[in-house]
Amino acid sequence: MKTLQGLKNTAADALAMCLEAGAEKASCSVSQGLLRELNVEDGKVNLMRSNFNSSLRLIVLRDGRKGTVSVNDLSPESIRRAAKDCVEAADAAKPDDANCIASLTENADFSEGIAECDETALYDATMEYLDTVKSDYPLVTIENLISSYSRSESVLLNTNGVDYSERQGSYSISAGFSSSDGDDTTSLTGCGVDFLGFDKKLIELGDQRRVFDRCVKELGASPLGADGKFTGKMLMSPECAADLVGSAIGLFLSDGVIIDGTSPWRSKLGQKVASDKLTLSCIPHDSRIVCGERVHSDGYISEDFDYIKDGVLKSFDLSEYGARKTGGERAKASSSCIGIAPGETPLEDLIKGVDRGIYICRFSGGEPSVAGDISGVAKNSFLIENGRIARPLCETMVSFNIAEMVMNILDISKETVCDGSSVLPWVLSDGVTVS
Amino acid sequence: MDYNGLIAGAGGSHAELRLQTNTDHKVVLLNGELVGNTFSRRGGVCSRVCKNGSWGFASGPETDDDSVREVVREAASGASFLDSRVRGKGFASSAAPGVCPESVFTDVPQKDYIEAAKEIDAYVSENCPRLASRTVVCVSDCMDKTIFTASGVNARTIDPRVYIYVFMTAETDDGGTVDMFTVAGGRGYLGPDMPDRNECRRKVDELYENLMKKREGVFPEAGVADVILDAALAGMLAHEAVGHTCEADLVTGGSVAGKCLGKPVASELVTLTDYAHTAFGSTVPLPLYTDDEGTLCEDAVLIKDGILTGYMHNIESAARYGMKPCGNARAHFFTDEPLIRMRNTAISPGTSKLEDMIASIDNGYYLLDTGNGQADITGEFMFGINFGYEIKNGKLGRPLRDTTISGVAFEMLKSVTMLSDTVKWSSSGYCGKKQLMPVSLGGPDVKCRVSIGGR
Repeated sequence: MKTLQGLKNTAADALAMCLEAGAEKASCSVSQGLLRELNVEDGKVNLMRSNFNSSLRLIVLRDGRKGTVSVNDLSPESIRRAAKDCVEAADAAKPDDANCIASLTENADFSEGIAECDETALYDATMEYLDTVKSDYPLVTIENLISSYSRSESVLLNTNGVDYSERQGSYSISAGFSSSDGDDTTSLTGCGVDFLGFDKKLIELGDQRRVFDRCVKELGASPLGADGKFTGKMLMSPECAADLVGSAIGLFLSDGVIIDGTSPWRSKLGQKVASDKLTLSCIPHDSRIVCGERVHSDGYISEDFDYIKDGVLKSFDLSEYGARKTGGERAKASSSCIGIAPGETPLEDLIKGVDRGIYICRFSGGEPSVAGDISGVAKNSFLIENGRIARPLCETMVSFNIAEMVMNILDISKETVCDGSSVLPWVLSDGVTVS
Repeated sequence: MDYNGLIAGAGGSHAELRLQTNTDHKVVLLNGELVGNTFSRRGGVCSRVCKNGSWGFASGPETDDDSVREVVREAASGASFLDSRVRGKGFASSAAPGVCPESVFTDVPQKDYIEAAKEIDAYVSENCPRLASRTVVCVSDCMDKTIFTASGVNARTIDPRVYIYVFMTAETDDGGTVDMFTVAGGRGYLGPDMPDRNECRRKVDELYENLMKKREGVFPEAGVADVILDAALAGMLAHEAVGHTCEADLVTGGSVAGKCLGKPVASELVTLTDYAHTAFGSTVPLPLYTDDEGTLCEDAVLIKDGILTGYMHNIESAARYGMKPCGNARAHFFTDEPLIRMRNTAISPGTSKLEDMIASIDNGYYLLDTGNGQADITGEFMFGINFGYEIKNGKLGRPLRDTTISGVAFEMLKSVTMLSDTVKWSSSGYCGKKQLMPVSLGGPDVKCRVSIGGR
């Protein structure tokens, strides 16, 4: 493993090789990392993984043409070959005025999280987690569980003088499980959380107990019934809201659909695109986020920002290339840490306000169309009737349009769930077809 | 360096060492402009050691002798760490590799990918005038692996694929949009005839025609319906709805297939197999000869004439279930341990003609195209449907817009009443079970009953 300065030296050498190969401008990211991981199968820890990895990514510009190459061999011979390949790739491309590398603003070094893995503590905490699930949730079967520690050191340098480094280390645990009672088995569900230490039992982190409790309640699920089809309200769990509301970012706000003009929100900046209850943000610097992004892969310091504020579209999710291509502004961070602002209504009251609807906890569906039309299976879900959760559902489908769904948001819970990479409430929308 | 000797010295009941490089090219043209131009080469070494049922796995990017020794030592150390805490049951290792016909990896310059994408983009631009947007992607991936085991296996496998994707978006009269895509290509390296450019152009023409129809399309009526799944969807059915439930690690985790071995799970018309390298008299799209544990690849018959006959295994699960491993242990990168994965999964053809199948439905749907699918251990599955037609009184009706179908695998398979006499394969996709993995899917047209989403 190299030191941080060693990585910077490698990046600087790579930039020099790119210029030598004919590049006019170049950018280089170099990273190395360690992953320690425990895998659980059939209720016992059966694999310990140690991955040492490295990567180097080059971007070169020549005559307005751009090439990109990634390799993981950091030897000088490998980098020299990558620099040559990258310039050749650029030469084969068409010139594009939007191609660029980051301009120099303010250089910085960032360090977050835990520097070393405590393998014994990770193993003991994982076993305690398994034992707790076994004793507190006897009907639950853990299908898979991964607990891990990951550490990465990365640098980003370019020929405009940009010079960033980022060092991060954290633990995480994620479990996939189902409940069984005789021949009755629920759909697979899961939960997970990122964390920095072992001062609390792992199962008490985030909102995992709620998911285990809910998994047991999913036993006895039955279809909605042929005559039960309705159009009505859909209460999304935090993880489902992240999936469905979050998909609006890729679908309506990303480079491809803004550049080609097919996004229905292409001309909606500053206009209302969602219920005024919705504020959807990117929050890498939120104190509840574990090791959030500090440097965007485009080469800028990441900042928190709003995609949608009180229902009004504030930002697209554009890379710097996309911004230059469309005359817009680049997003201030990548969309990895998502937050939805909480409302003022307790979850219990959200449910009480639903006469007939579905409480959906996982959506298993097809890719939405460009227009946002989507349908899929409501997994790990429940029927709500007369203000209470009536029964678990299976073999039930929901169909809606994502743009209409965010516009139809009726209310958002005051409670939020944080899993270390997002902060999300329950979201109640309307106009969803349930069949 | 004597890798077999090194790995034999790691101890345990099974030990393996894998040298691997993944090479990926991708070029993206959006409305004729190059917006993606990337090349990635990622390689290294990994080792996995099993001691009394506890596994240690380690990987690193450097492949000099000292680094390889360190990776093996780290894997053995991980196995010992767990073995000292959880003592399990060992099992015998296998040592019977097959022979991959490919022996040399051939890389192709990035500029050739750009030229191939430009060629097809020019055809789309010229022949498809009513598009709001077009995207052409030329992409390839190749896994080049050499596998050594303590029991003496020394096998190299090279698995290259190359594809050209075309995505089209058109505006509808009501101001909305519809989109579809097609793909051509398969196993091999980019060249003048690979992917077959005439096949690409034929598929572009077909895609454009279908997209124009889809502009006028309707959403299906939500509910349970008689449908004909095009052969392209039958493969998805084989993979998502059935295949995953028959992976032995998921069987252990509580999959519905765990209770059904030897029982009827489908209409007796249905035979479903995960093929290794040859099916229906031809080489399958992504043939495999040795898996990443060094096991000889053979066919795994999952359903025979409607009866569930077996699961897919790695060497550990095969020992646990007392079954023969058929070479289903596969890893995507050198940083990945082998998992139980499908390879070329297909439903066998029947004897019916497609036109007779359509004529047999009074009120239903003919579903032609899918983009993705998911399933879980209960056998409940869903596929996204990108295109299709209504069937009214035995004849095709209005075209369909995007929807989703769902069902419970073994119930749905029992509703199969007709299978066509032709098999189509699709090989461009990845399965996403923990690691990505190239897989191919195949089957005939299938008449059955499923739930279909509306709007």
